Amino acid sequence: MPPTSARRSTSDARVATHERDREHAGRRLRDLLEQTQVGTVFLSALMRRQLRLSLAITAAFLVGLGVQPLLPEIWPSYGDTSVLGLPLPWLVLGVLTYPGLVVLGLLYVRRAEGIDDDFTDLLQ
Amino acid sequence: MIVSAGAVVGLLLMATLTAAVGVYARRFARTTSDFMVAARAVPPRLNAAAISGEYLSAASFLGVAGLVMQFGFDVLWYPVGYAAGYLVLLVFIAGPLRRFGAYTIPDFAEGRFNSPRFRRLAVGLVILIGLFYTLPQMKAAGITVATAAGMPYASGVVIVAVVVVSIVVAGGMRGITLVQAMQFAVKLFAISVPVFVLLIHHGTPGRLIGAAGGQPVPRLTAATAFTVSSGDLWSLSRSLAVDVEGRTTATLLPPGERGGTARTTYVGVPLSTSSQRIGPPRPVILAGRSTLPAGRVRWEEGAKVTLAAGAPVPFGSDTPPSTGRAWLHPFGPLAGGSGHPLLFTYSLIIGIVFGTMGLPHILVRFYTNPDARAARRTAWYVLALVSLFYVWPPLYGVIGRLHAAQLYTTNLTDAVVLILPRQLGPAWLGEILAAVVAAGAFAAFASTLSGLLVSLGGALGHDIYGRWLRPAASARARSRAFRVGALLAGAVAAALGLSVEHFDISILVGWAFAIAASSFFPLLVLGIWWPRLTLLGAAAGAAVGGLAATAGIVITMVAFASQPLAQLLDTHSALAVVLAQPAIVTIPLAFLVMVVLSLVDGRVPAGVGSTMLQLHAPDRLGLRRDYVPE
Repeated sequence: MPPTSARRSTSDARVATHERDREHAGRRLRDLLEQTQVGTVFLSALMRRQLRLSLAITAAFLVGLGVQPLLPEIWPSYGDTSVLGLPLPWLVLGVLTYPGLVVLGLLYVRRAEGIDDDFTDLLQ
Repeated sequence: MIVSAGAVVGLLLMATLTAAVGVYARRFARTTSDFMVAARAVPPRLNAAAISGEYLSAASFLGVAGLVMQFGFDVLWYPVGYAAGYLVLLVFIAGPLRRFGAYTIPDFAEGRFNSPRFRRLAVGLVILIGLFYTLPQMKAAGITVATAAGMPYASGVVIVAVVVVSIVVAGGMRGITLVQAMQFAVKLFAISVPVFVLLIHHGTPGRLIGAAGGQPVPRLTAATAFTVSSGDLWSLSRSLAVDVEGRTTATLLPPGERGGTARTTYVGVPLSTSSQRIGPPRPVILAGRSTLPAGRVRWEEGAKVTLAAGAPVPFGSDTPPSTGRAWLHPFGPLAGGSGHPLLFTYSLIIGIVFGTMGLPHILVRFYTNPDARAARRTAWYVLALVSLFYVWPPLYGVIGRLHAAQLYTTNLTDAVVLILPRQLGPAWLGEILAAVVAAGAFAAFASTLSGLLVSLGGALGHDIYGRWLRPAASARARSRAFRVGALLAGAVAAALGLSVEHFDISILVGWAFAIAASSFFPLLVLGIWWPRLTLLGAAAGAAVGGLAATAGIVITMVAFASQPLAQLLDTHSALAVVLAQPAIVTIPLAFLVMVVLSLVDGRVPAGVGSTMLQLHAPDRLGLRRDYVPE
């Protein structure tokens, strides 16, 4: 990111600190780009964090879906219970599963953007 | 014979509108790169509406309701899987793939492994999956036109194929964000508004589900006249009084203990009649008021047969009729008919959930996001929008079981969304709602079909012709090749579509998803997240997974017609389930082949470090370099 002219016009001391930070960050960015050992370690750490998040979200929804076919075995009257006039299995699978998916998706987007931002801040 | 003037008007209106906008938009979308550059500025919400507009196909609009009407609860897995597919797409590939700049799977295959040959394999799989996915759209087109205009199924298929292929070849509907977003709005409106009117008329969902599950066999709500033709088959759960106009002949096939063989396994394919357990056939002559005994009746000549109101409905196919409790509860005939309900259900869920990202027309539009952040947000909005849609279709199936039972006899349960609104009184209201659902159905199959034809035309024209057969061809020749490709794909799809009249739309769609899940899903996930994947491993895994899934499905389809094969599958019912719903075996198989071969092979593609950097470095670092030149 090119520095903005507004930042340049602030006091000298702040500019100096800012420049030093940028130098460190610039070296890390070069490491990343040139794929030095340090750069590779940075990138695989980022990938690991993102992948762990993706797998956690996938595991959560697979468990949420996958447990439903087992419910009648665990809880024999599951099929005969009704809530709000609807049979519970219909309500859970046909209606409530959707908001569940949407919330998991939102969680993912928030966390994934957070991880990307942490990484970017480290380099800039 | 026009059956519903409203429905015909709705179809014509949507077709004209689509064609008109297509021709108008041609000025803006002349080439692929024009389309992409122009669409770069599309905000995530609008883009998501456009993606949902292309994604919600005939299977979502018609198929889910039809299958719920037949099989009840178990079918709810289909819409849940269609929606959850976007969560998987979101968490594994939306961001990285956008950074990489690949906008089709063949682009990714070539770019990730620097291999034009792998691209060809991917193109082959795109064509296979694309053709499978056009089948259910064609079936939907056939029954929509047939039920609206009273034409035979085949002419419906041909008419829609001609209309959609013309629009695609004329250059329309490609990447026109606003048109696709509008089609989402049409579909959401057309599925939700009529259902509210129906609920006001028929009662609350809870009461309807209870009533539908409480009846052992669905009953006709009014006296109904059926026109049967020679060879039609009725399955009766109990004896039935009928009134035959004139005289006709039929053969009674009572349930028998001896003779024939027992076909117990049901895996989503109509049972082959030859393998049913039947007693000795008995020819009868029917005239006027007659009583048909329980069992099967094969009509030997055309006739008009009237049934009284309240009569238990005859089932028109050998599909096991789902009785009250089985319809209402998990593991009814759809999953339970296989004898291995858990295996069937899990394999179905896995196939649908992991298949979405592998459909050939899905990833293209993600490229219209400016960056990975927008791509993720777009995928999330799509998840929310399609979730909003999928709550409604099952309700049509529930209402249909109570109020459109005649569809069981005519094998038209897939048309329940189209038929129910038409039956409402007063007549003007029924016709208006019929126009609305017909327009929604047209939007559903036409948008998906044109998206698929664009992908298939691109694969045939740009890849096979432009890169392989004639690498030196001019841009003009390539563009012509794209049109010829789309035309060819449309013709093949229509020809195949004529043969699937007896398969349920959602079952056909499940198959396309299973093949995609077994080939492209492992390729994309490992390609993005595992640097050590090699060309050999990836290619072999995708090929093995895709072909294994296809083989299972083709064997299942062949078993419909072949008695020895059907018998073999009956004695090995777990095998029958795995062949019909292959994902649970073929996805792990593809992953295994990819990982093991890559580790043995060890020839990691050159420059994999920069590929990984490009896939995963956050947008703000500004490292992106689009793979596709602009």
